[in-house]
Amino acid sequence: MNKPGEGVSPVLTPLQPLQRLIHSVPRTPPRAVPVGALPAATPSPVLWLAIHLPQLALDIITRAHAERRACVLVDGDGVRQRIACVNREAARLGIRPGMAPGAAHALGEVQVLARTPAAEDAALARLCAWAWQFTPVVSVDAPDTLLLEVRGSLALFGGLHGLLSRLRRGLRELGMQGFAFAAAPTPRGATWLARGRQTAAIDSLAALPAALAMLPLDVLCLPVKQLQDLHGIGVHTLGDCWRLPREGLTRRFAPALLQEFDRALGREPDPRSAFTPPACFAERLDLLWEIRQVQMLATGMERLLHELGGNLRAQGTVLRGFTWTLHHRDGERTSHRIALVAPSRDVAHFARLTREYFARRRLTSPVRAIELEAGDFEVQQVPVMEDLFRRGPAAQESEERWPQFLERLQARLGAAALKQIVARSDHRPERAMQTVPIGTPLSGSVTTDSPVHRRRSRPLWLTREPLPLPERNGRPALGGVLTLSPERERVQGGWWEGVDLARDYFVARDSHGTRWWVFRELGGSRGWYLHGLFE
Amino acid sequence: MRRARLWRAGEAVAEPGLPTGFDALDAMLPGGGWPFPGLIEILSARPGSGGLRLLLPVLARLSHEPRWLIWVAPPYQPYAPALETAGLALRRVMVIDLATETPGMEGAAQPSAAANTDVLWAFEQALRFPGCGAALLWPREIDALCLRRLQLACEAGGTLGVLFRPAECAAQASPAALRLLLTPQPACVALDIAILKCRGSLRARACRVPDPGVGVGPAAAQLHDPST
Repeated sequence: MNKPGEGVSPVLTPLQPLQRLIHSVPRTPPRAVPVGALPAATPSPVLWLAIHLPQLALDIITRAHAERRACVLVDGDGVRQRIACVNREAARLGIRPGMAPGAAHALGEVQVLARTPAAEDAALARLCAWAWQFTPVVSVDAPDTLLLEVRGSLALFGGLHGLLSRLRRGLRELGMQGFAFAAAPTPRGATWLARGRQTAAIDSLAALPAALAMLPLDVLCLPVKQLQDLHGIGVHTLGDCWRLPREGLTRRFAPALLQEFDRALGREPDPRSAFTPPACFAERLDLLWEIRQVQMLATGMERLLHELGGNLRAQGTVLRGFTWTLHHRDGERTSHRIALVAPSRDVAHFARLTREYFARRRLTSPVRAIELEAGDFEVQQVPVMEDLFRRGPAAQESEERWPQFLERLQARLGAAALKQIVARSDHRPERAMQTVPIGTPLSGSVTTDSPVHRRRSRPLWLTREPLPLPERNGRPALGGVLTLSPERERVQGGWWEGVDLARDYFVARDSHGTRWWVFRELGGSRGWYLHGLFE
Repeated sequence: MRRARLWRAGEAVAEPGLPTGFDALDAMLPGGGWPFPGLIEILSARPGSGGLRLLLPVLARLSHEPRWLIWVAPPYQPYAPALETAGLALRRVMVIDLATETPGMEGAAQPSAAANTDVLWAFEQALRFPGCGAALLWPREIDALCLRRLQLACEAGGTLGVLFRPAECAAQASPAALRLLLTPQPACVALDIAILKCRGSLRARACRVPDPGVGVGPAAAQLHDPST
């Protein structure tokens, strides 16, 4: 548990239950009722939910791996380099934020990583696009907090509890290890409560000052100098600050500080720029260590797919395919396109397809980064039922699942392996059937019933090519000499299509009773061939 | 031995199966037909012994339901005109064709060793897919654990799984719901069917189904027609 004044959370703390829910905050009237504030019991028309991600910088680097190794993040440069963030494994070794990297190395085997503020900003923006599925008003409070206006979403997600459990599950799927929530009528208020790890939900403006007053000054993210000055005059919490005269505070510190307080308490408007998500997705996940087995990539891939899924849900869009790019050791890249038969946004299905696709492939060289790209988000079309009465629910369900089933097979076996067979109206045996890739629209020449095939005996199996048979005493042999049926069927013609046949077909029986379909060429060498098998 | 709590195999009431289309066979099978859903093994000494012909009526029926018929790595090309004559809806037939090798001179292909895993995987996926009615497989080699998996997959997807295997496999234990051994009788134009194993009470051990004989033609079509 955090103590006030420690800044960024040193260790992953297990998520606390919401200690105080809406209305459970003691509604003591604030000491100075601000002019124009709402009456005490009125719930605020807006409710901001702050998601504080104290470990964001570390999480975005380590989330590609299921295996957890001790990692720390360092800030600053040269000799003043200090550890800013540690994960659970590093904390177990006794490493704490504020240590020098050398001290951390002395405590155990640990991976030291440099902080990249640009990557953190980009990650926050992507989280915004993901969080858009919960509310259309999403905003970033740099460096580590997301703000969601959720008043309108509470009913849909089953109250604040329902929404929070969805958020928790979603954030874990993305690989975020540490997060804290707080809700308040003002965005700044919510951010501060979340940073101060006060997992509270304050529903009315009147209750806000009392809840904020006990927060440490660190939640303001002030410059170090200002913070030291304030501590120097004995001010440690926001409440201490508010007890000071306003004029003095403005003179000694920046006027901006006072404005911050006014905004947090709802005395001044606090406009937020609304976030608009992009209609495409591209994210690269760098790996901490090289990976040689494709199975080890699964965790990172699932994280990216969950993020993509959040984007799609947020915008009500679907995809026709996505592309994996693997960045290998020597700067080499391989690209893997996974196409969908029917547009979808089902993350579990995407993950299954990816798994099947990569199950058959081996990595040519170790992978250093994975990248997921998806463009062309399509607005989802509501399926139109063709006939309300004829199709039972069972048939309809299986129809809907057929594309997914097909995609799974295609991802692993390749599209060329899946075929359908078509009967055509032609007297030549090879031409009477055709094998086409599954899903090929069938043209009009497809017969449903050809008189030739009904009248004549046709085998259930055809060999892929006619197989030449040796001849003994004027009869074909397969193992032993075959016994020919008395009837023969003459098949001739086809010169107009370049396939000229002249054959006599027989049903031949071998010594075991198996019936084969054989023919003799009428021209040329007059050879015998095996062409089919009766059952 | 007459205790009420004692479960006796002979008294077990089998769930109704799918009619096979052959009266002699229906009369013999516990549920009055193919166990459905379930895994069937059809063993025969040689390919082309009539196993597929036994299944044609039920395949035709399933394809008109409509449910998919998925043929995984068949030894030859299923001949579309003959299947159509037998009453199968061809637009519900999918053939999965993988890398194969042809060991014998008869041109029968079997999945290559490398493709064998994929073949089994595809077969299991087909069995687990509820839109599939029946999946047919001509396996290269298959162990008991794998068979158990396939039987469970049939039950999960509500499908009929059919394995065509050589007669030597009769000695191997199998969790399949039904195992048949086929012996064609060249002399009297008939097919002998012996039940090696089934779930539920057995009414007879063996039966003989008339073989349409050499002149497979209109007569055969009638026999295969599910309406008769």
